[in-house]
Amino acid sequence: MRRAVAFLLIAVAACGSSVAGQAGENFAQPAFRGQDKQWVPTVSPPPTTDVLPTGSGGYPSVVEGRPLVFPQDSGAHPDYRTEWWYVTGWLTDAEGAERGFQVTFFRVRTLIGEDNPSRFAPRQLIVAHAAIADPATGRLLHAERAERALDPLAGAAVGRTHAWIGDWVLEWRDGRYTTRIADDGFGFELDFTPEGPPMLNGRAGFSQKAPDPINASYYYSRPQLAVTGRLRIGARHHEVTGRAWLDHEWSSEILPDGARGWDWVGINLHDGGALMAFQMRDEAGAAMWSAGTYRAGRGEPQILDPEAVRFTPLRRWRSPRTGAEYPVQWQLDIDGRRLTLEPLFDDQELDSRRSTGAVYWEGAVRLLEGGREIGRGYLEMTGYTERLRM
Amino acid sequence: MLEVEQLEKRFSAQAAHPLFAGVSFTLAAGECVAVMGESGVGKSTLLNCIAGLEAVDGGRIVLDGQELTALDDDAFARLRRRRFGFVFQAFHILPHLDVLQNVALPLWLLDVESGEATRRARAMLERVGLADRAGDWPRHLSGGELQRVAIARALVHGPALVLADEPTGNLDPERADQVLGLLLESIRSAGAMGILVTHSQAAAARADRVLRLAADGLREFDKAA
Amino acid sequence: MNIALYRVFLASVLRRRLATALSLIAIGLGVALGLAVQLIHGAALAEFDRGMRLLAGEADLQVLGPRGGFDDGLYVTVARRPEVAEASPILEIEARLPGREETLRILGIDLFRVARVSPVLLPVAAAGGGSRSMGSDSFDPSDQDQRSLTPLILLESDTLFLSAAARAALGVESGNLLTVQSGLRETRLRIAGTVPGAGVGQRLAVMDIAAAQQTFDRIGRLSRIDLRLAPGIDRSLAQRELRALLPAGVELLAPEAATAQAAGLSRAYRVNMTMLAAIALLTGGFLVFSTQLLAVVRRRQEFAFLRALGLDRPMLVRGLLAEGVAIGLLGGALGVAFAHALTAFALELIGGDLGAGFFRGLAPALPFRPDLASAYWLLGGLAGLAGAWWPAREAARLVPARALRAGDEAELLRSPSRLPAALGCLALAALACLLPPVGGVPVFGYAAVALILAGAVLSLPSATRLAMRALAAGRVVVLRLAHARLASSPGQAVVAGAGVVASVALAASMAIMVSSFRVSVDDWLAQVLPADLYVRASSSAASGFLEPDAVDKVAALAGIASVEPIRYDTLRLSAGHFPMTLIARPLDGAFSLPLIAGSQAGALGDGGAAPPAWISEAMADLLSLGVGASLTLPLSGEAHDFRVAGIWRDYARQHGAVMIELSTYRAITGDERSNDLAIHLAGGADLDALMHEIRDALGARHIELSTPGEIRAISLAIFDRTFLVTYLMAAVAVLIGLFGISTTFAALATSRCKEFGMLRHLGLLRSQIGRLLALEGALTAAVGVAVGMAAGGAIALVLIEVINRQSFHWSMDLTVPAPMLAIFAVALVALAALAARLSGHQAMRRSAVVAVREDW
Repeated sequence: MRRAVAFLLIAVAACGSSVAGQAGENFAQPAFRGQDKQWVPTVSPPPTTDVLPTGSGGYPSVVEGRPLVFPQDSGAHPDYRTEWWYVTGWLTDAEGAERGFQVTFFRVRTLIGEDNPSRFAPRQLIVAHAAIADPATGRLLHAERAERALDPLAGAAVGRTHAWIGDWVLEWRDGRYTTRIADDGFGFELDFTPEGPPMLNGRAGFSQKAPDPINASYYYSRPQLAVTGRLRIGARHHEVTGRAWLDHEWSSEILPDGARGWDWVGINLHDGGALMAFQMRDEAGAAMWSAGTYRAGRGEPQILDPEAVRFTPLRRWRSPRTGAEYPVQWQLDIDGRRLTLEPLFDDQELDSRRSTGAVYWEGAVRLLEGGREIGRGYLEMTGYTERLRM
Repeated sequence: MLEVEQLEKRFSAQAAHPLFAGVSFTLAAGECVAVMGESGVGKSTLLNCIAGLEAVDGGRIVLDGQELTALDDDAFARLRRRRFGFVFQAFHILPHLDVLQNVALPLWLLDVESGEATRRARAMLERVGLADRAGDWPRHLSGGELQRVAIARALVHGPALVLADEPTGNLDPERADQVLGLLLESIRSAGAMGILVTHSQAAAARADRVLRLAADGLREFDKAA
Repeated sequence: MNIALYRVFLASVLRRRLATALSLIAIGLGVALGLAVQLIHGAALAEFDRGMRLLAGEADLQVLGPRGGFDDGLYVTVARRPEVAEASPILEIEARLPGREETLRILGIDLFRVARVSPVLLPVAAAGGGSRSMGSDSFDPSDQDQRSLTPLILLESDTLFLSAAARAALGVESGNLLTVQSGLRETRLRIAGTVPGAGVGQRLAVMDIAAAQQTFDRIGRLSRIDLRLAPGIDRSLAQRELRALLPAGVELLAPEAATAQAAGLSRAYRVNMTMLAAIALLTGGFLVFSTQLLAVVRRRQEFAFLRALGLDRPMLVRGLLAEGVAIGLLGGALGVAFAHALTAFALELIGGDLGAGFFRGLAPALPFRPDLASAYWLLGGLAGLAGAWWPAREAARLVPARALRAGDEAELLRSPSRLPAALGCLALAALACLLPPVGGVPVFGYAAVALILAGAVLSLPSATRLAMRALAAGRVVVLRLAHARLASSPGQAVVAGAGVVASVALAASMAIMVSSFRVSVDDWLAQVLPADLYVRASSSAASGFLEPDAVDKVAALAGIASVEPIRYDTLRLSAGHFPMTLIARPLDGAFSLPLIAGSQAGALGDGGAAPPAWISEAMADLLSLGVGASLTLPLSGEAHDFRVAGIWRDYARQHGAVMIELSTYRAITGDERSNDLAIHLAGGADLDALMHEIRDALGARHIELSTPGEIRAISLAIFDRTFLVTYLMAAVAVLIGLFGISTTFAALATSRCKEFGMLRHLGLLRSQIGRLLALEGALTAAVGVAVGMAAGGAIALVLIEVINRQSFHWSMDLTVPAPMLAIFAVALVALAALAARLSGHQAMRRSAVVAVREDW
């Protein structure tokens, strides 16, 4: 979902091409420092807005070589066009029932009302989405909220992960993330405890999305989050535990010309490792770009080049609602290893034509190697219904 | 059978002299009687008293065993509906109803179903020789025709007693004779009783009996004399 | 009773075509007027109510402030309360559109919030229009169901979304620019789409709340917050809890309470109009009474004959009532049809408020209300029934034996004196005037009006006798005859005159009331408009205003002796009332209040005690305040103590107004803006040249300049428009009354053929009989008019002193338009004579011999 909404938001304001600087080869190695061992602060202070390179349309460009500074960079970057904090994972309740969940907070800078002293000036919008994939239901439960940032009702804080709309919240506090979502049909309150430092994707957090490095984001992941908390479906409450994955990404220009959609996967491996991979598809459905990050166990992340990541559809499922056909089973070739993605159940399509207008598939999947499950995570597939227009 | 016994009527309850008193007579079915007398002697009042349109100050009226003088106003009205027929000097044909409707009026009052009422009214009109005027408005009829309509109306519901107050008073002599003949013949052939108030000797002559009204009572008038 | 038997009665109705037609028209008009008033106001109110509900959406409660709004920090506080599930902030602007007469209601909304409380207010970007919205443009635009989550064009600072009615009224389309004015500043907004949920009757526009705050210089201000409560929260409990958070002058109301406030404002006016219609219907009922009574007179022999045939009395009564009901229902049906035509016409022509100005900005559609239509139809039947009641009872009382012979129609017309009943009615009317209104409606005042009418009609026989006694018969034979006739049959005067009394009373009372009102308004306007020239940026409700520098610019112009700025706002003083108007202006200068109590001295206060405030009559009535009372006014969100220094007459604001010294207002609020400037010229200054200079200084498009003469002319024009419907109704009632005289005399003349024939035998000329009829008509009408005028005067007093005071809370000085009433009376008597003469025409043409011989 995240990218779907993000691209929607960006599509509106997008005009002209970025004049972002050339991507460099500056791989800043993260180093541990400070009391908060979960974060990876860098050696240099965070850059200020006025020295940021700016693209057209008033947004700063994403350039390679800007080191990510933690915990400063775990908070919002309001100058950039779009940003999200995206948590997905698997939950197991006391009876052993397994469900997928997803919660995302988006921030969008609109460039509207920047000179308006009104507290309602819609300079920043906050959008939140949450969903539960319950095999017992056979489809997704889903809820969403949107607001203009207006302290203290909704916002995304700078300096520390903290995004909220009313009582929906995702924040970093006391060494772990906490989220709270409540809707009529479902709700959850979950804590996510990281097992190690953030995993920087791409080149030290500079994640290229297309052959042209203009289309890029700053992007880090927090895999292997230990989950505890409570889940409510309807009126029934469940104590749950599980594993989750957090992505935090911000950019001003992601979607390349001619892109029809993308497929993304984030998997917590059973050996303690992590796998992130995505491909950007062109109009013919062929991969325009692909990339990923692989970490074996608690080892060092390995950056996967486009050649090292290949998505091959295996089995397709047709949505009875929208008629869209999604490859719900994939063969994933990662750096020479042949892996298979299988969904928790087929119908994890999110049909929000009535609200956001977006239709996509986002759901819980298992990763198998040689028939054996080696990890669990989430798969997102967009652009299978209509052509994505720019 | 109509029995009138010692009927008395005063101008008002306090009046010293009655208008008339001691009026007694009987009338058998099929019989027609003419009532004559000086002007102001109370002939019409007598008729009104028999019809229950005016209260009496003494005496009884019994029709076929039922004492009429005991009835209240509305009860008398309901009785009149069934058992009485009227013919007036001034015809009293309702101008806003056509001839047939005027004849059917007593049947409507008796709640006779409207098709049946029309059928019987038409038959009655035929008997008085006005079948072809059924749909006409009263204003297009002559006096004699109007009185024939009145006779048809007086007899359409088969009354026991027909009261006629100067029925020929507004007609020229030739037409008066025809109408009177029709009236008496109709009453007799229906087996009803008739009381005819008149000034006309000629009219009185055609009745079965003639009674003369005076302040002290009613006396049989010898027709022969 | 046999159905066919009803034919005997109904056929008779059909035969009396003229009388029946007039009765039909009278009842039809009464029904039509009553129903039309209901329909028109119903339509306007329904549209108003729809608008309120539309705006309130699913709100359980609304936080409402004065026109100036309240601090938007309150929104943040309220939105975070646990009782509140959703809070939707709204800034409402009545935008002045430079160069246009009309203003535009603009609602500044938070798109994301309003979607969850009043989704019908959601704007939709125009397809294409050079704008892109996130959802619909990014994904398949052919899918019409697709609604975008946050089309950014909806948030932009210069976009405006117009309802269909607003687009039609302004003649603009998506893609056009619309110029709005705030203060003296213009802003151009792009019309970027529509508000499809607003429906066809609502003229409004929607824009982003931040943009609205910025465009109209209202940063930090809100007009309203719509609240949806959390599930399971009790509304009254939440109301109590939340009220504690509100600053002074800000209210928390259920949406229906806001509607009720507005409905209450126009209710008195609606009741007034409905009462007028009721009087028209009553006059119609009188006419049925007249025609039926005359029919009974004429048909007494027919009835006697029917009784002889055996028709009992209940049947006779039922038959005659059926005649009345038939006329009533037929007239009612005509009236219902006519009412709809009238309503369509009125809505098209003068708008939903019958010209009274309560419902601006609404374009209600022609309604069909089966319930109202059938109610009024039945009311027509009821009027017919009531009119036929007494004649039917009279008919049942006939002694058949007598009626069969004698031709004495005067029997029925020998009306006994009903003076005690008449006096009783008048005494009750006097008592009813002392009682207070019920729910703001002067119920007892209207009861007094009805009682006065009844008393007037009941006193007719006595009045006729009295008049005949006073009128020496003289020697002229015609006069003697007419005199004898009326003196012996005063019932004839009742029959012919009842309609005249009712309609004359109505017309006279309206004339006196309206004239008193108009003269008082005129005097009042002269007093409240003492300056030479008035400048304003817009009406006080709209978005134009003057900053101090603009005031200074005007004051600096040569030829101006002084400038008095005036500031308007509204105040919410209590939950049950519509907001009252606050007027701040210099009160120690040339301006003198139209005081009816207290004094204007010490306007600036003595520093120590609470500063003075002058309240309008309406406010004094509504809040039960007298001179010297203390008064708390919420200014800038805080309660400030004032004392009532005087009560002034105010015809402009029925909901109440309070005036305070401008310097006091400014010291408390810090608000330096002004709405109006009252300008006094220096001696010898050229007004036209000065107006030119002021236009140059402030921008001709941005201000309105008026002289007191113009304002007075416009105000009186509005006044006359408001009472146009009143005049029409009075005219209709008088017409119906004349019908009454004409039908009565037509019927009487027919029934008196024999009498006229006899008179002709005795040697009376045909023309003398004509004069006799005219004279009788004139005398009857004169008595009716005299009684009607007296009743009208009494009713006018009730209208002025009871009904207007209680409905609208304003007093006025009694002014009797004597010449006009005199002309009216003379004309009516002349018309009545003519009507009687013409109606008798037929009777006079008949041969005297035939007439005498005819027996019936």
